[in-house]
Amino acid sequence: MTHKTANYSGSETENYGQQAAAEALFDSIGDGAIATDEFGKITQVNRVALKILGYKEADLIGKWFPKQIISLTEDGIPVNLIDRPITRAFLTGLPIREKMYYRRKDGVIVPVSVSVSPILLGGKPIGAIEVFRDITREQEIDRMKSEFISLASHQLRTPLSAIKTYSHMLVDGYMGDITPAQKKSLRTIISATNRMNELISTLLNITRIESGTIAVTPKLLQMNKTVEEVIRELALMAADKSINLTLAPVKADADVSLKTDNLILKEILTNLISNAIKYTPEEGSVTVSIKPRSRDIQVTVTDTGWGIPKYAQDQIFSKFFRAHNIVKRETTGTGLGLYLVKGLLDRLGGKIWFESEEGKGTSFSFSLPRSRPGEKTPKPPL
Amino acid sequence: MANILIVEDDKDLNNAYRMILENEGYTVQSAYDGKEALKKLESFNPQLILLDLLMPIMGGLEFLQHYDLVNKHADVKVLIFTNMENSPEVTEAYKLGAHRCIIKSWTAPHNLSKVISDTLSKSSVTA
Repeated sequence: MTHKTANYSGSETENYGQQAAAEALFDSIGDGAIATDEFGKITQVNRVALKILGYKEADLIGKWFPKQIISLTEDGIPVNLIDRPITRAFLTGLPIREKMYYRRKDGVIVPVSVSVSPILLGGKPIGAIEVFRDITREQEIDRMKSEFISLASHQLRTPLSAIKTYSHMLVDGYMGDITPAQKKSLRTIISATNRMNELISTLLNITRIESGTIAVTPKLLQMNKTVEEVIRELALMAADKSINLTLAPVKADADVSLKTDNLILKEILTNLISNAIKYTPEEGSVTVSIKPRSRDIQVTVTDTGWGIPKYAQDQIFSKFFRAHNIVKRETTGTGLGLYLVKGLLDRLGGKIWFESEEGKGTSFSFSLPRSRPGEKTPKPPL
Repeated sequence: MANILIVEDDKDLNNAYRMILENEGYTVQSAYDGKEALKKLESFNPQLILLDLLMPIMGGLEFLQHYDLVNKHADVKVLIFTNMENSPEVTEAYKLGAHRCIIKSWTAPHNLSKVISDTLSKSSVTA
């Protein structure tokens, strides 16, 4: 150190000392850190960044960040330049935080949590600094947590199924005659187990959404097949209220293919259709229709139910919200179903809206893109 | 009346379904995991199997793989009876030839009987 400073004047020595201190500080950051100039060329990389990415300093310094460090989406698709956090930080002048994947030098994909901030001088960006960390372990813990919740939910439901089945058997006279008062008590038990089942199901899904652990696995599918499957599963629930549950005919040559996550789509449909059944009086009808459009597919669930009062229409996607006209008739809801549906649709890049008139019924519609950004639109089946 | 095999590890539920179906006049046998079900099927020929998915020793999916519904027992109807709605396991069961999936916690006994009689009557028409 003394040898090096011997050639500097007093102020240069001071500058050098400050620069060395800044470099040491940068290198000591516990997360990966990369600095760039205003053109996105890498000017500085710390040790942790080199370790996470498997590069040597010489591989990166002076190189264009977006080209040299490849970032991928959850599905392994390279992120477009315009969508890269560093580009967005330059364009907006704001810090950007995101979870994504980096491809290491050896080709291994690493999940990372990224935070990029533009370096501003007089309001103009003169560079950017990105701090990121490897979240492989966190993702593994999230996956284990999700599996545990899923298994625990299933195990909680098994005894509930036994309670419900035996209660039904008592009501239906499998064990002999019972009094009307006993029947009434048993129906209360059945209703309580139904509520508990719904709660378990909803809480499981909300936990997944809010923790960001809900996995999206897009696959090419036919919308009408998934709708038919959900209608089949809910047919008994509709039959219990003598509700006519149907799928409006879809033209034989209509292209209803899209690339999305089938399980999440089923969850969305299950919630919307079961809500429609629940909030429609006996002998009513629930109709599901599918409208293919060029870039997306629209699904509408129309019921002849009690409808949503005007005052409540702004709030129905809020957590725990329930309209008064519904609370009076149906006391078992949680106010979480539509909040969940909205969260799931956001995850799939979809939209939801509705039309409703109190006393006449409600139509909930959602649209899902035929493919997600970065993917080609699927071709119609031959 | 038809023969039905119930494959369900929860003894309380297995007994309940058995009681309900015997009351309807079916001949019913019970197994408590997939392996025991395969053993029972050596001497019992059901027209319908009511199959749970999550079971110890051998689960429902593994059972379906061994039983080879698609190629060897296309005339037997399998109803998946589970609480794992909208799960990848249910989708897989359909791929392995399961006829229909019923959610346990949503299904009252009279509805179970109805689904079974509908399924069996459809199979007798197509046979």
